[in-house]
Amino acid sequence: MNINLDKDEKKVETRFSSIFITTFTTIFIAELGDKTQIATLMLSAESGKPIIVFIGSSIALISSSLVGVLIGKWLSNKISPNKFAFFTGLLMIIISIFLAYDIIKTFI
Amino acid sequence: MILSLLLSTFLTIFIAELGDKTQLATLTMSGTSNKPLAVFLGSSTALVFASLVGALAGGSISNFVPEIILKSIASITFFILGIRIFINSFTPNEIDNND
Repeated sequence: MNINLDKDEKKVETRFSSIFITTFTTIFIAELGDKTQIATLMLSAESGKPIIVFIGSSIALISSSLVGVLIGKWLSNKISPNKFAFFTGLLMIIISIFLAYDIIKTFI
Repeated sequence: MILSLLLSTFLTIFIAELGDKTQLATLTMSGTSNKPLAVFLGSSTALVFASLVGALAGGSISNFVPEIILKSIASITFFILGIRIFINSFTPNEIDNND
């Protein structure tokens, strides 16, 4: 019980970094080889101006992640945390199944 | 010329990214954690880093690592995260009311 009290203060710090790292790894892995990365690559090769394309795509990606965060925050205020976790957890499992289907499809 | 390229890149990527799996993952993590800033910073840096690889490496990572492997890793990551969040949704949540 006492341990919990001691941990409480640390929780806020460690949580920030652990959430940051979890988010970073997940998004980075999901983004590698994704269609937006391929679009960035193609635009960069086509125009011959990689830096401009990089700036443009970075701003777009930052805005889109801001949109995602804001919608997530807004939705979680609207419905109960458990319901939100239920549906988003289910959504992520469905996405993983679609990705797995994409992999299996190449073997059929 | 530069401005139009900037704008067209922005629009292409922004529209392609709406409703994409990465945005849905960001949405999920921002809603299930109470640190939206951490999620925003984490996902922004990851996306910028991935885009840096795409724009400057002159080739996407999929040139070096087969796409199947990348997709498998993504699929497993999403599955683990999804299961974890899904299971958490059945446990009574301990909301920190103390502050």
